[in-house]
Amino acid sequence: MEVITTQEIAILICVAIAVFSAVRVIAERNTVRKLPFLNVLSFAVAGSLALLLPNPLAILAAAAYFVGTTLESNAIASTHAGGLKKDE
Amino acid sequence: MPGDVESIFIAAIVSWILFVSIDILFGLPKTGGVSGAREIAGEIEREGGSLHGGYMMGNIVCSPDASAGTLLAACGVYIAGIPGGLAAAALVYVGNRICHDPGYAGTTGALAATFVIYGFTTIGFSAAHFIAGMVIAILTIQGISHIHASRLLARLWGWRS
Repeated sequence: MEVITTQEIAILICVAIAVFSAVRVIAERNTVRKLPFLNVLSFAVAGSLALLLPNPLAILAAAAYFVGTTLESNAIASTHAGGLKKDE
Repeated sequence: MPGDVESIFIAAIVSWILFVSIDILFGLPKTGGVSGAREIAGEIEREGGSLHGGYMMGNIVCSPDASAGTLLAACGVYIAGIPGGLAAAALVYVGNRICHDPGYAGTTGALAATFVIYGFTTIGFSAAHFIAGMVIAILTIQGISHIHASRLLARLWGWRS
């Protein structure tokens, strides 16, 4: 008997990876080195969002969430690099 | 017909090959597109990794690239089939412009992934396998060891250049 569906397995994997990368973000001391782990967390959360809400607007929500976190990481990394002096 | 776990494993390998080859084709490891990506690459190099692999990882963090395109295309195909994947590609294009990224790696990745994933759904895979597979694929690059991932990407970039 099938006790767990494809969707549930996919959600479990996404959530497990989200928790793992969240722990890595917390454990890493250096701010810039945190960002790739944060990127994995965003992937996992965006994936879970689409799997949990199979609605056309969820594509927009997942994309908006993902682009938002990317832009934040971009801003944090640019600030570390010296802000607006080097590029716009 | 493989089981769910095997399908996700295969989807992870397919997604990995897809996004790494498109990113390398578009020259993401060549240099950082924005100052933030160069900063991340410098930090990875200081940690003991490779600079060009670091540039690619920095570019993935700082703007939606082919990996983000593959993930969002998988989400789109899962929810609404090919039109959903195309909508995701359009959103990735907007995302690239918001992040000051002049490149087209993200949009190309989303379009290519839409058709690849749709192709796999016709032979018994689900787009959900590709959502989980892409999350596993990005974990192997960004989430395990920055030193080893950057060296691997630099070696792949060395073959192309």
